[in-house]
Amino acid sequence: MKKNGIFPPLSSGPLIIRTAFTVALLFLLLLFPVAAPAAGVTGDSRTYFQSRETVDNTKVLGAYEYLDLAVQNRGPETITFHTGGWLRYDITGEDFDKKSNSDLQYAYLSFKSKTDNAVVNLGRVMVFEGVAAERVDGVYARTDLMGGFGISGFGGSPVEIGSGAQNATIYGSRFSHQLSDIYKIGVSYLEENKDGSVSRKEEGVDLWMHPLSKVELLGRSGYNAVTKGWMENAYYLFLGPFEKLRLNTEVSQISYKDYFSSATSAAFKFQAGVLDPNETVRILGEEASYAVTDKMLVSADYKLYRYEIAGHAEYFGGKIKYSLSGAGLGGSLHRMEGSTSNLRYSEYRVYGYKKFGKIDLALDIIDVSYDSPLNGVKDAYSTSLAVLYDLKTEWKVGADIEYSHNPDFDKDIRAFVKLLYRFGAGVNGGG
Amino acid sequence: MRTIPAKIVFLALIPLIAAALYACARTASMATLHPVEVETAPMCGDCHPDDRAALNHTEDFFTVKHRYYAEQQSRTCTLCHKESFCSDCHAHREELKPSDKYKNSPERALPHRGDYLNQHKIDGRINPAACMKCHGRTNNERCRTCHR
Repeated sequence: MKKNGIFPPLSSGPLIIRTAFTVALLFLLLLFPVAAPAAGVTGDSRTYFQSRETVDNTKVLGAYEYLDLAVQNRGPETITFHTGGWLRYDITGEDFDKKSNSDLQYAYLSFKSKTDNAVVNLGRVMVFEGVAAERVDGVYARTDLMGGFGISGFGGSPVEIGSGAQNATIYGSRFSHQLSDIYKIGVSYLEENKDGSVSRKEEGVDLWMHPLSKVELLGRSGYNAVTKGWMENAYYLFLGPFEKLRLNTEVSQISYKDYFSSATSAAFKFQAGVLDPNETVRILGEEASYAVTDKMLVSADYKLYRYEIAGHAEYFGGKIKYSLSGAGLGGSLHRMEGSTSNLRYSEYRVYGYKKFGKIDLALDIIDVSYDSPLNGVKDAYSTSLAVLYDLKTEWKVGADIEYSHNPDFDKDIRAFVKLLYRFGAGVNGGG
Repeated sequence: MRTIPAKIVFLALIPLIAAALYACARTASMATLHPVEVETAPMCGDCHPDDRAALNHTEDFFTVKHRYYAEQQSRTCTLCHKESFCSDCHAHREELKPSDKYKNSPERALPHRGDYLNQHKIDGRINPAACMKCHGRTNNERCRTCHR
């Protein structure tokens, strides 16, 4: 039962038109590899039913279908087509103020050369290259160059939500060098234009170093050329294993006015008094993990958030994990010590899972205990029980139920049913 | 006499240098699929004791490292992982939490387990940058029901 809250309607943007265009384009492109006589199709179908209550006390039973497909020819060069998306229809109730919804997550034709790791992807592509972590309707390409150098580039229309722009373009590039087993370093650039003006211009450096055995350093720095400030500097040092001990250190800094300037969601338009838009946070973290046996891992972690304006917060605790073949147990205990009462709480988690023949069972219990009650609730907890059954090699069916009590719901019961089907030969693992 | 700005010269040289380096490279590409099936949470270093050992799927790989490796060498990820593996969490528009889809795998480091409607108000104040990565420009329809 919901305590309070509203559920206002959502706005819809030009994404529908863009998605339809992409689908049409990609199906046209799809004709080429499908026509190849040696083409093979692999994929996954995941059907979900979720029963839950929305924040306005509406009971919703939604049906989801997630479909992922890959079409691959077996010619001298590798041409593949990949697409994935989902659609939802609410059998009862209405979620997001829409009876149905859908999304094309990715859909692209990919050409992979037999030399130089050259790749060209065309369509709705995901791009992870230095400062770019984007979804783009357009083109992405990369290749190795001589002497350990590499270059990549992308361009097209950004796939975003909520920008309100009618015409938007995005492009970027990354240039890298690597000395195998010693370092990889890249410099990258990204520019996005909306309705004729520059909305994002970001430059970055990414680094992976392995100067000594058991020493690994990685991280990146990002510069916002629009606000003219460093968005983020984030670096991690991984040491070990020393016998059974590993040490991880994090040092990072984020400037809010530079980091969040490109957000399209109002959730990131901060106001002084709640979150100051000129805030800068520096994070120092340390984690030590120790493998007691090859099956048991214990770890302790500490993270300090030091804000220039709002004081500081500390998060610390420990975890234990015990893993066997087809079974495992885990638990964690953490404490958040913030500068205000509602940022002080303790969280506990215990979980376990075991395989019994063709049946997987899992139990997960999470509890968050607030120092000061929130909406009259001092302990927020949720318990879930899940079961998954192997029908055949390709088919799995599962169900779970979750019970929660928290500051927003006196009693929240959710049920989830899933039917999983994997088809096509030669599908490699990894989901 | 007019001089050509250094920036233009630099930008013009990049494709020339890249073309020259590409012409001279001609190395064999890595495989597009991993030649043998590997078990969940593989230790790449067991067979590849070079820089690929950094891709060992240890505990910190899921929480920290994978983001950086994806930015530098996503083609290695695609040896074993299909695109849907990434988009399950890093979605453009998503209505189901990743942890809802995989409640039968509590050992996986998935975001937003349990009651996240309330908890996000706290996490968002502690480190909003962690939210921005997935919800800043995409996947924020649910955010906009309240944050308008």
